Amino acid sequence: MKRSFGVIGLMVLGTLVFGVMVAAQQQVTITFWHTYSVEEAKFLVTRVIPAFEALHPNIKVKEVTIPYDVYREKLLTAIAAGEVPDVARVDIIWVPELAKMGVLSALDLLMPDFGDYKDRMFPGPLATNFWAGHYYGLPLNTNTRVLVWNKEMYDAAGIKGPPQTIEEFRAVCKAIKALGPDKYGFVDGGTYGWAVLPWIWSFGGDITDPNMIRATGYLNGPDTVAAYEFLRELFAEGHISPMIVGEAIIGAFEGYAQNVYANLLEGPWVGPIMKSMFPQKELHLALVPAGKGGSVSVVGGENIVLFEGSRNKEAALEFIRFMLSPSVQLAMADVGLITALAPLAKLWENDPYLGVFMEQLKTARPRLVHPAWAKIEVVLTRAGQEILLGVKTPQQALDDAAKQIDQILAEQ
Amino acid sequence: MKRGWKVAARGLSSPFVFKFISPSAKKKWAVFFFVFPGIALFLLFWVYPIVKGFQISFYKWSINPNLPSIFIGLANYQRALRDPVFWLALRNTVLYMAITVPGQIICALIVAVLLDRIKLGRVFFRTVYYLPVITSWVIVSVLFRYLFAEKGLINYLLTDLLHLMPPIPWFTKPGTALTVIMLLGIWKGIGWSMVIFLAALQTIPNELYEAARIDGANAWHEFWRITLPLLRPTMVFVLVMLVIGGFNVFISVQLITGGGPLNQTEVILSYMYKNAFSFLDFGYAASLSYLLATLIFVITLLQLKFLRKPTEMYY
Repeated sequence: MKRSFGVIGLMVLGTLVFGVMVAAQQQVTITFWHTYSVEEAKFLVTRVIPAFEALHPNIKVKEVTIPYDVYREKLLTAIAAGEVPDVARVDIIWVPELAKMGVLSALDLLMPDFGDYKDRMFPGPLATNFWAGHYYGLPLNTNTRVLVWNKEMYDAAGIKGPPQTIEEFRAVCKAIKALGPDKYGFVDGGTYGWAVLPWIWSFGGDITDPNMIRATGYLNGPDTVAAYEFLRELFAEGHISPMIVGEAIIGAFEGYAQNVYANLLEGPWVGPIMKSMFPQKELHLALVPAGKGGSVSVVGGENIVLFEGSRNKEAALEFIRFMLSPSVQLAMADVGLITALAPLAKLWENDPYLGVFMEQLKTARPRLVHPAWAKIEVVLTRAGQEILLGVKTPQQALDDAAKQIDQILAEQ
Repeated sequence: MKRGWKVAARGLSSPFVFKFISPSAKKKWAVFFFVFPGIALFLLFWVYPIVKGFQISFYKWSINPNLPSIFIGLANYQRALRDPVFWLALRNTVLYMAITVPGQIICALIVAVLLDRIKLGRVFFRTVYYLPVITSWVIVSVLFRYLFAEKGLINYLLTDLLHLMPPIPWFTKPGTALTVIMLLGIWKGIGWSMVIFLAALQTIPNELYEAARIDGANAWHEFWRITLPLLRPTMVFVLVMLVIGGFNVFISVQLITGGGPLNQTEVILSYMYKNAFSFLDFGYAASLSYLLATLIFVITLLQLKFLRKPTEMYY
């Protein structure tokens, strides 16, 4: 009897040991989809992933680079087919949409240490992950638009420095026009949210109430109308390049280098791009001109998300933690990606280039964190075009747009 | 003999079905095996998506397969009929078709008749005119955007060289933006119709022209009385194909204006794409594509019914 217990005991022990050994050796592979640029992806493949795999010998990371232009289609197709990646780096504006679709895991429910990340992130980028009471991702890298001003043109027009306020900005535009009929005070690519929101917010306006219930009273409120009236006036007087209404004209960077454009709002990629295209052109940055609402810019960047369809969630979470660790976040800054971890961002506070972006990020806001943002943005863009092309007055166009956005919000 | 065949077949380890069926049936099976890959691909990549798309058009379709799609009957179709952007897109699509199809046919016919006459350099010119057909839509769309840019070649010609008018902001106004898209459509399409017309022209017997000349016909008469009537079947074919192609205009619109300004240059397919991939409204997008398909089907039927008169096609 005793002997048989011993045998059983041995067998149990053996099974346990064997089981642990199998578990330790079991390789899992997680798939990571991203849109990193060539430079960034090279860094990811040669430095970041090997470091992670060395730290977690049983986890293999399969990275897939997808160009941004086709990323949305590719993600949607994968979702429809039920063949999603484990982890993905996605544009911040897609998270609420994907969350509502039910394909993302709520990280605040899955990660016991979620609070540590949440407390250290800039509020603007963090907010882009929030939908219906939960956080469905974490900011992987962030950016915002700041004013890029053309010192050569400012000097030629006798302007001392960058405008601090919107009134000063208006004066700059007028002085620049005096340099010649084909000189423009400002250039932007359209009237979509990324372009117009810094003006709307800095004027003290908004698109909706904070709870995203209605646009009426906000989008057509006096401050937002004033922001559009300002843009309409500058455009009508020829201070804004017709590129904003879709005209084919010299590009923003090229025009800046050739002294056609005196100001633009741009993200942190402007430095590397200008350096490679126009190495001799000096770049000067300043905060977005302040109005009644202060100097408020718009948050861009990417979030890292975990898919509900992942079969290796624990391994995937480990990878997310690793990507957000200070060493990786700091290293990624070398290829121009700004961390959303506020304590780390302090390191660049006095950097003549990135410091401006860090300062702007403190007050920067995300675009409407709503699953229907794509639809809302179409209405917003259209209203902007109607105003600039003089089809409707700002008040008319925004009254109509607010009504349509109210309806879109009510449908959700 | 028969037995020997069987043994040989067994020896070659051919599929076992071969052993139980007669030689004539074997032949049929062989045919089946040969056409199977083609049929399978056709069913998988043509029939299945068409049927699936039809199904999707009756649903508020959820992209996530784990969430239910809601059956809403004809609601997507009703919505399309009330949607002003749909009507605008339809108007633009029809307008595009109505202008680019005759444009391509007339230009292609002129080029084909001219090329048919010359002996020297025919291959060269045929290649040159065909070149736009094989270049990528994406590349030529971007190229046309540059040509018609504020400081592009066309404005340079109009303003600085010929002093005809001040530079035109082509893409700010819907009319001029659509003009650019249509010009691109005509320019890129000429070569395709030209090659088909050229082939048809070469089948017209020379004796007819000789006989006409003896009867005192000039070149003008020859063209109207001989060339054109004998090109009729070709013309019907080209017309039907171009009308279908015209309704399917997409890439040039997407890349040149993106439907703007103010949706004014939206066509059915660009609007469908927007609904599917921007708004994730796949049900509505599917219903739009079915409305377009129905329209194309009806128009093609009408064309074939009224244009095809087989009795007068040949002499």
